[in-house]
Amino acid sequence: MNTRVSTLLLLAAAAFSSCQKDDDKTTDVTALKKDILVNVSTNVITASYTDMNNKATALANAVTALESTTNDANLSAARQAWKDMRVVWEQTEAWLYGPVSSEDIDPRIDTWPVDFNALDAQLAGSAQFTAAYIDALPEDLKGFHPIEYLLWGKDGSKTAAAFTAREKSYLQALTDNLVALSKQVDDAWKTGYSTTFATAGQTGNSTYTSLQSAYLEMVAGMADICEEVANGKMKDPFDAQDTNQEESPFAKNSITDFTNNIQGILKMYQGDYNQSGVGLEDLVRNYNLSLDSDLKAAHAAAIAALNAITVPFGQAITSQQSQVQTAMAKINALHVVLQNQLQPFVQQYAK
Amino acid sequence: MKRIPLLYRIFALVATGLVLAPFACTKPDADYHSASEEWLSGGQQTVYDEGSNAYSHVFPVLAENLERVHEVGDAQFGATFVSPPAVLNAGRGPIFNNVSCAACHISDGRGKVPGAGDSSISTLFRISMAGVNAVGGPMPVPGFGDQIQNRANYNTVKEADVLVHYEEKTFSFGDGSSYSLRFPSYQVTNAYTALPADILLSARVATPVFGLGLIAGISEADVLARADENDADGDGISGRPNWVWDVQKKSSTLGRFGWKANQPSLLQQIAAAYNGDMGVTSSIFPVENCVGQPQDDHRADDPELSDSLLYANEFYVRTLAVPARRNLDDPQVQAGKALFNSSGCVKCHIPDQRTAADMAFPAISNQLIHPYTDLLLHDMGPELADGRPDFKATGSEWRTAPLWGIGLTQKVNGHSNFLHDGRARSLLEAVLWHGGEAASAKEKVRAMSAAERASLVKFLESL
Repeated sequence: MNTRVSTLLLLAAAAFSSCQKDDDKTTDVTALKKDILVNVSTNVITASYTDMNNKATALANAVTALESTTNDANLSAARQAWKDMRVVWEQTEAWLYGPVSSEDIDPRIDTWPVDFNALDAQLAGSAQFTAAYIDALPEDLKGFHPIEYLLWGKDGSKTAAAFTAREKSYLQALTDNLVALSKQVDDAWKTGYSTTFATAGQTGNSTYTSLQSAYLEMVAGMADICEEVANGKMKDPFDAQDTNQEESPFAKNSITDFTNNIQGILKMYQGDYNQSGVGLEDLVRNYNLSLDSDLKAAHAAAIAALNAITVPFGQAITSQQSQVQTAMAKINALHVVLQNQLQPFVQQYAK
Repeated sequence: MKRIPLLYRIFALVATGLVLAPFACTKPDADYHSASEEWLSGGQQTVYDEGSNAYSHVFPVLAENLERVHEVGDAQFGATFVSPPAVLNAGRGPIFNNVSCAACHISDGRGKVPGAGDSSISTLFRISMAGVNAVGGPMPVPGFGDQIQNRANYNTVKEADVLVHYEEKTFSFGDGSSYSLRFPSYQVTNAYTALPADILLSARVATPVFGLGLIAGISEADVLARADENDADGDGISGRPNWVWDVQKKSSTLGRFGWKANQPSLLQQIAAAYNGDMGVTSSIFPVENCVGQPQDDHRADDPELSDSLLYANEFYVRTLAVPARRNLDDPQVQAGKALFNSSGCVKCHIPDQRTAADMAFPAISNQLIHPYTDLLLHDMGPELADGRPDFKATGSEWRTAPLWGIGLTQKVNGHSNFLHDGRARSLLEAVLWHGGEAASAKEKVRAMSAAERASLVKFLESL
């Protein structure tokens, strides 16, 4: 949540860059700018939440299968379904605005840490895990991480034989809750917010009062996730040398999480989620090819730096410190491109 | 983020309004351009973001090392606390309202109110008995304290739930068209033990937390200079300061924060929220909120929060910047501003304040800011009254709420519920709820034409 708008950079960059001529336009830019918003809201953001809801359903089904036939194959399938949903969710963190934040979905899906005392007590207790019961639980007893803990166990080596009936029923209720929450955000986009975003700046739109405000929202979302990964998710455990602060420790999935966070940025930029479409890239390439290549190079460098970490993040903060530091630096460098180049660009051209 | 020093220096010049033209061959974006400094709501600590994160930016002018403190505080503000013992963020409860600061102050903005028949979400309920406690504050309710904690750790019983009901009433504008306001009423249910029948109960929505360092930076003398307890100037408005107990200084101190200005400092406000809302003890409030009640876990782990994290959190809140005004040059906005002034709203929602010189913390020193508040208590009439005194604030007095950034509530928080209990469903409804000292201003708004009302709202949305 900590983001900085560098006011002057923005003003000064707009002031300098606006001296450039822009007489080499080859496309109908006015139409393009609207098309980008339509594509992004429909085929990127809404599509991603639909995808997430589908993956949540797949996870719930896998858990149902595990519950009825508790063997290692079904456990492994459920773990894979968790990871598959996690891919989508982490990518959508590059667009954490709108209903997912204002309807408070994020903390109910993805809160760390887990309240282990309460979780153990729940498992030892006798309450029925109804939908209403799960709904009323604190954030730290539901969502991805309690599910992760139940599927993998504290050291990641849990076997199907170790599952109790109560664990399975809690798992089922938690995954059903994920289905409901992901449906809520998907529905909110499908039934209104998608139009709100796509019609930014049009008469009667009181949320996005200018076209530019939607573009700035996109750029801020991309920049914010860089900041969050480099200076929060990675830096906090690294600086503290404390594995307890790592986000997906049981599945040892943290670096995959970070990578998908950063991949979400490129999907947003290119307007390509599950299908190809127009995105910011198309507007940028119309005016400023060097910005386009700077951004893609910085993005590729960040991904490469994350890929260079070869052990789980909880180990890497002690055994691969230079790789971790490089990755944080490369993600910060991408953040600088987004904040100091793409944002001024949008300020100037997305009107 | 990384800085480019030259541009950074240019920023300082722009922020102080000295230079822009030599560097620019076009004007900055139309939304933000204005000849006046009025768009710099937070002085040099103004940010240009009208998006979902508009309330969540660090001061743009802040030393890099302090920026890191802000980041540490940011993590702390968002940290989910869990029941003890735990290796990370232990100490929540035994009873609480929410699990983190950010869970109520969503995106550093305004909390949501429960819908009809819902239990509260990011709203809490203060309670007390008639009378005052040893330091002049509200008298706690035996067995409950001064607030209802509606959640509890596992195997602990929550204090109670509070359900909200609304009754619609219809009124008329001067032009004959009608409007409707919803009157809330509250029902305490599931109380773990009998509540005295005569408790005083008041709903409080989580307030936005940006710009509070600048509010703290306004000198006490400036606040007191606007007070007019006996309405000596005969304008029907009698702003009164609240004097509240400062637990560190152990003395009565000017209250600034909260719906009734019942907290003297950000640090005390934050420590009180940790204690009351999350059940997390600190050096400022080292005693659990349920001591003496059956929920007490008798753990010898207080204070549960380290001073370094408490202070980092305070620094985070203190250094949250204020979003810039938008669309200042829009004629409708300008017309709305004229109506805001001529109706008398401006008498309490003071636009211009200047922070005191502060050599120890130049970031907030001597800034012309536009919070639209006098930080004083005003009688808002019987319909808004909660009947629950809080230090010097009577049951019908409220602190003038700052209006800066209020136009971005819908974008950031996805709703447009205003006032202490969120009863107003729009900015206009919030205006129409004003009574008491604001009755004449409200009456002028009620008498406006539809076009004038639209302009007034447009102005408020530009804040």
